[in-house]
Amino acid sequence: MTLAELVFLVLAVIAVGSALLSMTSGQLVHSALWLVVTLGAVAGCFLLMTAEFVAWVQVLVYVGSVVVLVIFALMLTRQSTGEKSAEVTGNRWLAAILGVVAAIGLGATMIAGFRGEEIEGRRIGTAGSIGHALFTDWVLPFEILSGVLLAALVGAIVISRSGSDR
Amino acid sequence: MAWWGKGLVQGLAVTWKNLTRRSVTARYPDVEPDLPPRSRGVIALQEENCTSCMLCARECPSWCITIDSHKEIIPATTEGGRDRSQNVLDVFDIDYSICMYCSICIEVCPFDALHWSPEFAYAEGDLKDLTHDMNRLRTWMGTVPPPQALDAKAEQGKELESFRRSEGEA
Amino acid sequence: MSELVDAVLRCLLVLGAFLTLPLLVGQMEHKAMAHMQSRVGPMAAGGFHGWAQLVADGVKFVQKESIVPGAADRKVFELAPAVALVPYLVALLAIPLGPFFGQGNLVGQDLDLGLFFVLAAMSVGVLGTLMGGLGSGNKYSYIGGMRVAAQLMSYELPMVLAAASVAMLAGTLSLIGIAEAWEPWWLLAQLPGLVVFFVAGLAELQRPPFDAPLADAELVMGPLTEYGGMRFAMFLLAEYAGIVVLAGLTTVLFLGGWAGPWSDQLGWVWTLLKIVLVSFLVIWARVAYPRLREDQVNSLAWKVLVPLALAQIAFTTVLVVW
Repeated sequence: MTLAELVFLVLAVIAVGSALLSMTSGQLVHSALWLVVTLGAVAGCFLLMTAEFVAWVQVLVYVGSVVVLVIFALMLTRQSTGEKSAEVTGNRWLAAILGVVAAIGLGATMIAGFRGEEIEGRRIGTAGSIGHALFTDWVLPFEILSGVLLAALVGAIVISRSGSDR
Repeated sequence: MAWWGKGLVQGLAVTWKNLTRRSVTARYPDVEPDLPPRSRGVIALQEENCTSCMLCARECPSWCITIDSHKEIIPATTEGGRDRSQNVLDVFDIDYSICMYCSICIEVCPFDALHWSPEFAYAEGDLKDLTHDMNRLRTWMGTVPPPQALDAKAEQGKELESFRRSEGEA
Repeated sequence: MSELVDAVLRCLLVLGAFLTLPLLVGQMEHKAMAHMQSRVGPMAAGGFHGWAQLVADGVKFVQKESIVPGAADRKVFELAPAVALVPYLVALLAIPLGPFFGQGNLVGQDLDLGLFFVLAAMSVGVLGTLMGGLGSGNKYSYIGGMRVAAQLMSYELPMVLAAASVAMLAGTLSLIGIAEAWEPWWLLAQLPGLVVFFVAGLAELQRPPFDAPLADAELVMGPLTEYGGMRFAMFLLAEYAGIVVLAGLTTVLFLGGWAGPWSDQLGWVWTLLKIVLVSFLVIWARVAYPRLREDQVNSLAWKVLVPLALAQIAFTTVLVVW
């Protein structure tokens, strides 16, 4: 086992562990902060797999914006320090089962698709290679995705305007 | 006319101008302040002028002056003359923890017993020590500056005029 | 072995810069702000024009008792200052200072994706303030935290867009690469981007005039209300380190980094000089302009900066393709 593999293992354990803590934590704010740890550890894993670009974008977008958005939503909707949140109870067992099923499904897909692939020595994650791939092999999915995002944007505007002057 | 960003430009200009000018800060503990004439620092008492008329104590808006006195008889100097009585101060306290430096006591004093001194550095560790008694008030007299000279073309004091006239007549 | 020594030396240098440059900026803020307001600022500490004022402040902060409010979320409250401070140290690692007497580039670590690295680190730093707002158990901190979040979401976008515009023109995401590709006419072509980046950076650091989250007249001190002693000092240091990082990034991206006469030998001096200049601008903006209201803060981001940044990107695209 090389040093890189060891570090990867540690990061993976951190990611999974903090993800579990984020799900079982009694307070929603703590859940959001554990999510930060999870995302950071996942970014570290990306880094070890030479996917630098994805790693930094992960930190920039998910830690820097998405988690902030989540926390902002939490703050707007409830006074969250101190008391226990109601969301922890309820459907937690069903959610756990669904989560496990999804994890198994995704993991199986990954293993089936990429088993035995070596990334040693191939810098597949640099900005240059990702940009090249995006605008050659993956142009159509990329454009479709931007269309989906645009639709979501328009939808958000429509929903947020519904209160005052439709 | 208000264009966009005008406030920012003005703010930047004003602050830059201030940056290039000398600052106006008074460097007090290192440099003694240059006080204007008639500065109100502390009230000095010339006790021999005081007749204990109590005008100052009564006019004081914050009631910070305490006066106590007794009468003394001055025997008649001439044969068959009448003995005169004089008020002698026992207590004259000004409590500077209440004083608001309004100068009314000094204005009303008919005998010029109270004067402004520009000394201002008499802070104390204890509030009670801010009550200056007669002796302490007396010591401030040494710091009272001479009255400021009149402006060149100002009207001279009336008493001076009458004094000159009487000089001329004599 | 020499590689290890080299790496350790670089890390120590970055740590040194991290501990001294923010103090320099802080002292400059003390003095420049004072003179802009016709005052003299600190004069006593250290003798000559109060040069040791921040050292004295530090000593005072260390002596203070560290208090955690009873209503606070203890772990979050205690962790917040570190989360605010460390990312800026990490960000400083990737900012190049330029050629050092022909000895190669003075940089902690030259990263292929330096720009994204620094921006990512900066966006994490703000999380510390947010944690402080959430964990203090104080309504003023709470409202301040909400304002931090709102501000961060608004200004992240124009900042990244403006930075992306330069990266497009340079054709690389490496900070050294961008600074080397820089040409004087970019100053004009990227001017809107420069303004957007600088303003968004100010807002991200919650520096006045974008300090609505701290707004002492309304919110006491916002997320920092409950902090004192060393923890508060760490937040302060984070603020000034943030200024250094922002100034360094602005210099490298928009002002050509070490471009200037004799840049092969004295490039690092040029970079430092420009960083000081931009830091001065940060301080000047603080003194010159009153705090924006909360709604003004957000409308400036969405109605002015984002369209401006998009226009800049479109213009840069035309330049690059043409």
